[in-house]
Amino acid sequence: MDFSSNIAAQLNAGIILPEGIVILTLMVILVGDLIVGRNSARWLPYVAIAGLLTSIVALYFQWDTPDPDAFLGAFSGDNLSIVFRGIIALSTAVTIPMTIRYIQQSGTSLAEFIGIMLTATLGGMFLSGANELVMIFISLEMLSISSYLMTGYMKRDPRSNEAALKYLLIGASSSAIFLYGVSLLYGLSGGETNLNAIAATIPDVTGGQSLGLAIALVFVIAGIAFKISAVPFHQWTPDVYEGSPTPVVAFLSVGSKAAGFALAIRMLVTAFALVSEQWHFIFTALAILSMVLGNVVALAQTSMKRMLAYSSIAQAGFVMIGLIAGTDAGYSSMIFYLLVYLFMNLGAFTCVILFALRTGTDQISEYAGLYHKDPAITLCLSICLLSLGGIPPLAGFFGKIYLFWAGWQAGMYGLVLLGLVTSVVSIYYYIRVVKMMVVKEPQEMSESVKNYPEINWTLPGMRPMQVGLIISVIATSLAGILSNPLFTLTTDSVTSTPILQSAAVVQELPTDQMEISDNF
Amino acid sequence: MNLAEGVQLVSGGILAVMMIVTALGVVLLSNIVYSAFLLGGVFISISGLYILLNADFVAAAQILIYVGAVNVLILFAIMLVNKREDFKEIPGRWIRNASTGVVCAGLFALLGTMVLVTPWSVDSTSPAVIENTIVEIGKHFFSDFLLPFELASVLLLMAMVGAIILARRDLIPESMPRQETISTSLTLPERPRELTSIGATSGEEN
Amino acid sequence: MNTILLLTIGKEIDFQESFVRILTDWGLTAGVAKAIWLPIPMILVIVLATLLALVATWLERKISAAAQQRIGPEYIGPQGILVPVADVVKLVFKETTVPRQADHLLFTLGPILVIVPIFLSFLIIPFGQQLIISNIGIGIFLWIALSSIVPIGALMAGYASNNKYSLLGGLRSAAQSISYEVPLALSVLAVVMMSDSLSTIDIVAQQSSQGILSWNIWRQPIGVVIFWIAALAEAERLPFDLPEAEEELVAGYQTEYGGIRFMLFYASSYLNLVLSSLIFAILYLGGWSFPLPVELLASWLGVSDTAVWLQPIVFSVGMIATLFKAYLMIFVAILLRWTVPRVRIDQLLNLGWKFLLPISLLNLLLTALFKLMVPILFG
Repeated sequence: MDFSSNIAAQLNAGIILPEGIVILTLMVILVGDLIVGRNSARWLPYVAIAGLLTSIVALYFQWDTPDPDAFLGAFSGDNLSIVFRGIIALSTAVTIPMTIRYIQQSGTSLAEFIGIMLTATLGGMFLSGANELVMIFISLEMLSISSYLMTGYMKRDPRSNEAALKYLLIGASSSAIFLYGVSLLYGLSGGETNLNAIAATIPDVTGGQSLGLAIALVFVIAGIAFKISAVPFHQWTPDVYEGSPTPVVAFLSVGSKAAGFALAIRMLVTAFALVSEQWHFIFTALAILSMVLGNVVALAQTSMKRMLAYSSIAQAGFVMIGLIAGTDAGYSSMIFYLLVYLFMNLGAFTCVILFALRTGTDQISEYAGLYHKDPAITLCLSICLLSLGGIPPLAGFFGKIYLFWAGWQAGMYGLVLLGLVTSVVSIYYYIRVVKMMVVKEPQEMSESVKNYPEINWTLPGMRPMQVGLIISVIATSLAGILSNPLFTLTTDSVTSTPILQSAAVVQELPTDQMEISDNF
Repeated sequence: MNLAEGVQLVSGGILAVMMIVTALGVVLLSNIVYSAFLLGGVFISISGLYILLNADFVAAAQILIYVGAVNVLILFAIMLVNKREDFKEIPGRWIRNASTGVVCAGLFALLGTMVLVTPWSVDSTSPAVIENTIVEIGKHFFSDFLLPFELASVLLLMAMVGAIILARRDLIPESMPRQETISTSLTLPERPRELTSIGATSGEEN
Repeated sequence: MNTILLLTIGKEIDFQESFVRILTDWGLTAGVAKAIWLPIPMILVIVLATLLALVATWLERKISAAAQQRIGPEYIGPQGILVPVADVVKLVFKETTVPRQADHLLFTLGPILVIVPIFLSFLIIPFGQQLIISNIGIGIFLWIALSSIVPIGALMAGYASNNKYSLLGGLRSAAQSISYEVPLALSVLAVVMMSDSLSTIDIVAQQSSQGILSWNIWRQPIGVVIFWIAALAEAERLPFDLPEAEEELVAGYQTEYGGIRFMLFYASSYLNLVLSSLIFAILYLGGWSFPLPVELLASWLGVSDTAVWLQPIVFSVGMIATLFKAYLMIFVAILLRWTVPRVRIDQLLNLGWKFLLPISLLNLLLTALFKLMVPILFG
């Protein structure tokens, strides 16, 4: 008895309250579906959204908690993890409205889909705060396995099967490599699994750098780069994005990627602090490759989903600039960009889903002349795409500027210049879609647009999609102009997180950053 | 060296050789059923190494899970499908084999050097101190590894739900508001195309 | 000495040490004496298990005869007791044939893979406080783990025979044993939960305080039934002998086998039955403990606990008690076999997954509940 009560006193289990709420929601959905049957599809998605929003509220109340370490160091609820957990929960909360109609129209069951998506969210949230190797691996697998399942959800469609199989095989091998790297860390530190303990013991044991640590670093980065789909670990991305259900793609491109970045920050900054030069170098290479390849290949795409896939690869490259900068500004610009990216990318995907549901296609050429039939979607999609391209005064512009500024401050001139050039390239292919929709004359309309069904927002499942779309578009247009609270949030989260403070290469004063953010 | 150490050393050597040989067999044999059976051999040898490392519970769990469940599942899949297909000889196949071999050998050399060069910190607590490994494992599960242990239950639950979803026959619901014909159900709404039966070869076109 | 190597060495310090002492008295060095001791427990296990299985086959013939109002084997030895020996002799000297298209290597390896894990499982069977080959910490878990290797052997035999009945039989056998392993393990887990140990010695010791009243059969009424059903299915006994159902599959994965290879399959099925019955006796019927505690009887008779001649008597009573309980269960199994019709494969799988699995989970939960609420009764 005294063992359990002794442990229970040290657990500090309140830290994972937000995740607890998500688990509870998951249970309600699974059991509710079991009891009520198919009719439950009417209320279950709203339960899920409500649960996720409650979880975000719970996260808000945990801001600046005095004792963030929970479960004997296995999980850390510091402000950095809170921001990332918030981003992931929010991305699912925005993704679910667009799933309802999509899944119903494809005739598959909704409750299980939402259940799997919530599990993926849970995996991502735990991954953002995981501070211990076993915990990291379990939550990573939770995220991955749920993603595989969602990818193959349309099991009668060969394309979905193919995507799921590819994702599973590549994902499994990347997990194996990641696990190998992690096991090397375990061995190097003399049997420690806690990241802080590893960081503390490795210098004592190996006396600084060693071949083992370098190989562990390479293997771990291979696992992380797979999650954030950085070139050259990106081969799965276009095929999986094209073959899986579009809401899944939306989640993969935002939630899953954010979780990958959270893992990257936490692991690299703590466990690999000794080899920080090396990982900066590797990530610089990854960022260059991702930005160049993602943007250039996106030019040649004819399918909207594939184009967004390459665009998401390129965006990951931009975000990596912040990681490489390694300064407070760098990290906070990363988080800021991910927040903004959430809304603009999900908004774009909602429009793509709406268009696909009404016309049954996602070819870019089929968007021709959409303006004449459906100005609302055209407007929203244009705003989101232009924001992704970084056109002022939309949110994406400010996000990119902040990233580039942080990179410039950290002295990475070449990388920032490359980022600027490639974002100009990216503007071209985003604008191409916008031009296709807006500029075409009525007689140049594509077949699908000519047969465009009447816009009917009252169909079941359409209303939430509309709401989600409007929220994303408003956030995309205004987050840049009214960005001060977001800047404060991200800088606060970075400056109040101990692991980043001890690791930051260049210490900057918070006031300095506030000035910059005011300038925007 | 007394008798026990000798027995340990010899059995360790036998197990290691057995593991390597069977693992090579899994990879290199062209008959997939042999590969699957040899995989069982790999798992059993690993379990033997666990026994030598005093991890008796892990060894038994390894047999139970990997041999008794994973390997049987693989064999099931192979035997139920049992599709014999003669692959065409690809011209210049030896180049691929050779380059794969070179990459593997290089990787092996790298990892081998790493293992030899790195100053591993060996845990100094003698395994003989741990009287009952199961009690020790249980204590860890319910103290510092509590969260991953509990989280695994959510993971397993969802894996089970997902497996059932993928495996069950879907009945197309009648109550659906029908906008499109039934033939597009259960497929991606964009670009509907002909249905294939589940399990048919996918990816014939891309 | 490495504790785990006791798997093969045998922990009973008194036996091993006295054996080694005798040999060293004869002038051998200690190392050589230990080396001589090494194989003895293994040989002991194989001989003992084989004997028990042979007796079981004889019982099967006699009881089936009685069930069908026949006499059964009569001429070879008194009451036909030597029939099993004759069987073995016949099978050993029979020509061993391998079908031409069969896979020779796997065809031979299959039966071996089936029988070896079963022999190994006998290591953990205690016949008395000290009469156990290896009292390892994982005890009963070893049996569960080892029994999961058996389906691989069946699959191998089924595949190698190059015969569709064999393949179907092998697949069925694997499906069946996977399905029933889960409720089996869960019902064992409930017992383990009460005794706080996986070791078979501890499980029996926990039941031996109050004689027959403290046996687990009273505390685990649901678990007993689940365990017995699942154990019969694991041993592929009627009503669950679908892998060898004659009417459907000729003889399942054993169809192409003859001679000594068939003998291995035949022996393994009876060894499995004996093993399951022994484990049933250990888990639920108090193992070697007498219905009245022997110490109590001794004190009634006014014999002190420490009397030198008492120890052998306690040993032999324990052994006889274990064997009697096990053969009682074998009797039940044989009676079931000759009175109950076979289930269909879909009924079998439904029973396993949709009935036994939830019930055994419930049983586990109830056991945990009772253990928390009435710790006196439930350990």
